[in-house]
Order: sequence, then structure tokens, then C-alpha cells
Amino acid sequence: MSRPSVTWILLWSFLLIAAPPTRAADTDYPLSVDVTNPAALQEATRILAEEVKLASRPQTYVIVDLVDRAVLIKGRGVELHRFPIEHWSAGELANASATFRLQMRPPVSRRKIEPAAGGEQAPISLDDMPTDFTLQFSPNFSLTVHPPASDDIGRWLRFKTREWWMWLKDVAITLGTEKGPLPHPWLYLSVRSDHAQSLAWTVTEGMAFLVRRTPQSP
Amino acid sequence: MTRIAASLCLGFIGLVLLTLAQSSALPVTDASTNPAVIPDPATLHVLQNRYRSLSKQLNQLMPSQPYIVVDTARNHLYIKRQDHVMLDALASTGSGTILDKPGEAKGQWVFDTPRGEFTVQSKLINPVWVKPDWAFVEEGVAIPKSYTDRIEPGVLGEYALGFGKGFFIHGTLYTRLLGKNVTHGCIRLSDDDLKSVYRLAKVGTPIMIF
Repeated sequence: MSRPSVTWILLWSFLLIAAPPTRAADTDYPLSVDVTNPAALQEATRILAEEVKLASRPQTYVIVDLVDRAVLIKGRGVELHRFPIEHWSAGELANASATFRLQMRPPVSRRKIEPAAGGEQAPISLDDMPTDFTLQFSPNFSLTVHPPASDDIGRWLRFKTREWWMWLKDVAITLGTEKGPLPHPWLYLSVRSDHAQSLAWTVTEGMAFLVRRTPQSP
Repeated sequence: MTRIAASLCLGFIGLVLLTLAQSSALPVTDASTNPAVIPDPATLHVLQNRYRSLSKQLNQLMPSQPYIVVDTARNHLYIKRQDHVMLDALASTGSGTILDKPGEAKGQWVFDTPRGEFTVQSKLINPVWVKPDWAFVEEGVAIPKSYTDRIEPGVLGEYALGFGKGFFIHGTLYTRLLGKNVTHGCIRLSDDDLKSVYRLAKVGTPIMIF
């Protein structure tokens, strides 16, 4: 074997030995993405960059992933809970690049303990949570969650009508026929009722939300 | 009203025109198709490197040691190491009920298990319960002046793990209520599961509650 070949073999062997051990997690990618699509990559890196900031602090946060059609509750980069999005529609998502902070949890009726009443007080449970609600965020962004047609056709129709009304308003403002504040991003998620209740249960005031947009989002 | 009607009419006409023209101004839905993209190799390479670097950064933030996850909606406590579940325990978490504070017009105790990320701050053996004011108010009895009158041993189980602001993971006499939201904010476990948690968790172990 020639001297240059031996040199290369020795060099590569040294590099392999000296290289630090890598955990399996080092090769895991938190987001699935088409790495040949620059728009998709750009969005994925934007989400990852924001998530690194959130995961660096002790908090839980939510990622609404419109690409994988799932809502993820996470903490420190770890997925704590996930549920699927049946269907979604949105407007002005080009403005949805911020980290949004929830202003208020969905309202829930809490039972009051009567002192010395004795017996067990009925606790709150997932069944007490609403199955449709709108979350408002700062900066300005609204997220409406509602059941799919298969769960409740009447409510689904009502929310569909609201979606188209939102869009018509945005178009009217864009065309300049109506004066008012610039349209803010909005998102409608159709999720199963139990998943909606789970989200209503989990969110807290000030909780961070990220929206991973699809490459064709406006 | 005239302006609203005009906006509606214009919007409807716009909808028809846009639909015919297949404009991208329609609301984006998950049924929309992807436009073709021709990537610039240099830009793509930069993006790919950034994606890999950020993925690695995020992976490095994940706990490398066992951590605790509490699902308060379904009342389960998990101990996990990376993605592997080392323990799946039935728990009881906060009831979400409220109790008025006597003498305060708007003061209330809200019995929620706090959500967010915490860490194990203390590990106790044979803990005793020092009853807080709400425990007496709830029973309809006077709040004692003496500290010793607040002490109630034997109700918290063999171990307790504190995670801040008076909240603990501890045992319970009411094992039939495990799996339900019945506590005043603490997390209750059965004796066996509590022992496992005490053994696996250290001071500083992350606890993620949702």
C-alpha cells in the first residue's frame, strides 16, 4: 500500500477515534420537512429558531403545525401531547410569523366549595371544557377551534359561515372599500371535540403559540 | 349599513371573479396545492445547514436525564428518559374548584395544579401535612393560632417531592380517587408509584405539567 493511502487511513482513523460520541437524538429532526423546498425549509428554520428560544426557558408552549396538521403541546423541545387537525383555513398568515402570547384562557365555569358542606365536591373535568372557542393573542392574532362536521354539523356550518365572513371583510379592507385597521392573521381549526376540550384545558394566560405555515400560505 | 351592503356585494363579486381566475387571494386551506419551486443550490445549502444546526440545538435542550410529565386532564404521571416511558402512574391532580377567603371580598383560593415547567426542589421521607388556612376554612372550623395544631401526620404517604409554592407530589389515603381531579393542587400517587418516583427523581429533575 502506498504511503499517501496509509496516511489517509491513519488520518481518518484518528478523526473517528477523536470525534465526540453523539447521542441518537443528535440525528433526530424535530420537524419533518422537504429539505429540497427552500420555502418549506425557511419556514421550518423559522419555527425551530423560535422554539429554541422558548425551550431555553422553563415553560410549556404550543405549536400549531399546519404542515403536519397537528397541534403539539411541548416543553423544552419535548412533545408532551399531540392531536390532529381535521381541517384548517386561515387568512393573512403572512403576518403570523411572531411568537404569539395567549391573552386569556377559554372561560370555564368553576364550582365553588361551600365550607362545612361535607361530602365530595364535584371536581372540574375535561367534559366541562368548551368544544368551540376563540383564542385571542398578542400580537394581534385569533385562533378559532370548532368541531368538524362529523361531530356537529350545525355548529360546523355556523363556523364555516364566520370563516367566509372574515375573509370577505379582509377582501373589503384590501380593496379599500372599508376603512379600518389592517387585517390581522386568523386561523380556524376543525378538531374533534375531545381534542378541543384538551386544548382548552391545557392553555394558560401568557402561553406561547407558534404557527408553522405551509409554503403556499399568503 | 350602506357601506356594509356595498362591501358585501363587492366581496361577493370579488369571490366569483377570484374563483374564476383561481386567484391566490382565496382563504388558504389545507386543500391548497403546492406551487412548483425551483431551488437555488447555494441558498438551499445554507438553509439546510441552518435547519440541521437548529435541530441539533433543540435536541440539546431536551433533558438528557429522566424527567417527569404530568397530564392533569387525564390524570397520569409519567417518568420518561428521552422518548422512553420508564413509569406510567395513575395520579390525582387539582380539582379546579374555588373557595372564598373569609374576610376578603374578592379573595379566593383556586385549587388548580399549576401548568408549566418546574423542577424537583425537595425530597422528603415520612412527610407530615402542615394544614394551610384553606383546609380549616373548607371544613368550616376556625384557623388555629398554634402551629402544632396544623400538623397532621400519616396522610401524605411515605415520601413527598416538592416543586415550589407549596405544591408536592405525595401519597394518599384515598387511592380510590386516583385518576380523578380531586386535589387542592398537589399531585397524588399510589404508594408503589410514589416510591418509584422518589427513587428515579433527583433534586433538579424537570417536571412538565400540562
